[in-house]
Amino acid sequence: MVRFENVGLRYGHGPEILRDITFSLERGSFRFLTGPSGAGKSSLLRLLFLKLKPTRGFIHLFDRDIACLRHADLPALRRRIGVVFQDFKLLDHLSAYDNVALPLRAAGLRPDVYRSNVRELLEWVGLEGQADMFPPVLSGGEKQRLAIARAVVAKPELLLADEPTGNVDPALATRLLHLFQELNRFGTTVLIATHDPHLIATTKFPVLALEKGRLN
Amino acid sequence: MTPAPIIPVDAQPMRTLTLSMAVMCYLATLALGALMLVEAAVSQWTSGIASEITVQVRPLSTRDTDHEVNEALRILSTTKGVSSVRKLDSTAAGELLKPWLGEIRMFDELPLPVLIAAAVDQHEPPDLAALQKRLAEKVEGASLDTHLRWQSQLVRTAATLHRLSIAILALIALSATGLVVFATRSVLDANRHVIEVLHLVGAKDSFIARAVKGRFLKSAFFAGLVGTVGGILTFALMGAFGAPVGDARLAEASTNLLIAPPTVALATYLVFFLVPVCATFLSLVTAHLAIMRQLRGT
Repeated sequence: MVRFENVGLRYGHGPEILRDITFSLERGSFRFLTGPSGAGKSSLLRLLFLKLKPTRGFIHLFDRDIACLRHADLPALRRRIGVVFQDFKLLDHLSAYDNVALPLRAAGLRPDVYRSNVRELLEWVGLEGQADMFPPVLSGGEKQRLAIARAVVAKPELLLADEPTGNVDPALATRLLHLFQELNRFGTTVLIATHDPHLIATTKFPVLALEKGRLN
Repeated sequence: MTPAPIIPVDAQPMRTLTLSMAVMCYLATLALGALMLVEAAVSQWTSGIASEITVQVRPLSTRDTDHEVNEALRILSTTKGVSSVRKLDSTAAGELLKPWLGEIRMFDELPLPVLIAAAVDQHEPPDLAALQKRLAEKVEGASLDTHLRWQSQLVRTAATLHRLSIAILALIALSATGLVVFATRSVLDANRHVIEVLHLVGAKDSFIARAVKGRFLKSAFFAGLVGTVGGILTFALMGAFGAPVGDARLAEASTNLLIAPPTVALATYLVFFLVPVCATFLSLVTAHLAIMRQLRGT
């Protein structure tokens, strides 16, 4: 599903943030991406959700070489990827319900088609009572769960999460991890970037360890 | 439950655009109204001038003026295409000269030319060249004024004013286009985070463009209506209060433009209400092109 071959990335004329990255993610797999702050985890995720293009090497995503993608090809591929951002990237002027429904609206679905799905998902993440509330009044944990609900609402084939437990207490972190595992059981490939060793230790999933831009 | 607008409704650039577009539409309505007033006035003056010719008989010491005038009247009356002939007496001639000479009592002593006004059948006009030749042969000191010089000058002036109005409308459209491009960029810049999230959740550029254009549609149509109604009110005020302070004819023309006769007024309103329609169309097309161009670069 995902294959990186000798991928390098630099911002402008700066030093290489990522160097000779080679790995692959099989369909239905679950991986952690770990490493100290500044190791390049977020940059690697940006490459995966097509926010950036590598400065060298090849990336194959869903059997497509991303170097050959046109601007018009991006939406269809991005709809197959769900992303939980470290800073959530929720839209403050939309309610929790509308934030979760956003990927479905963007895909052109009518409200009556997705209404029950969105309600169900809000219930799944424990936010059914906050559906009409706006992100600024939600707690860190609630925002985190909302971001997860938005990332999975369109049933993505690949789920990327950047520090999804960074703003929550250990109990909620474990609950969120169970949510990801449940999604993985339904066939979604999951890659979680975290520098929380306790989170990694609670499962037996393989780890991609980044250090100074290289995979160990 | 209706989904909330994806672009925040209180986007500041939209308020500025609405205000600026309302001003543009107001100016466009004034320019269109001025164009229609000029065309109506020119058409009225031209038809007035074209329906009449004037024969001037200069008094000569060698000839009997009354005899020459009678001869000119006879020629005119027997000319095919001349429907009526009227000799202007010295009082009427004096009235014509009053604007230049003022109120003087020496008109009777002055050797003023005698003026004969002849109404022309516009459907079957006389052969003016033949008439001029006959008058020159039979009446000493007679000259025929067909007003062609004035008519062509009026047509030239009208054409110039017409072109000027079109140029003003084109400039307004150009400025409005610039405003919309500027506002589009401002809206996209102000909502950069929204656009980024939309892209990341797989929204196509056309989806984002539709969301942004929806705001432009409402703003442009509302601004267009406000500007046009403002323009119509201005003409109505000119009609109501123009007479005491300015040229009464302008006030009368402004009133005629809006309320009488009904067919003219209806045509006027139709033309005026093209302003918001055109403003909306212009905004939508410009915004769409500007959005798509900017999004392709993100």
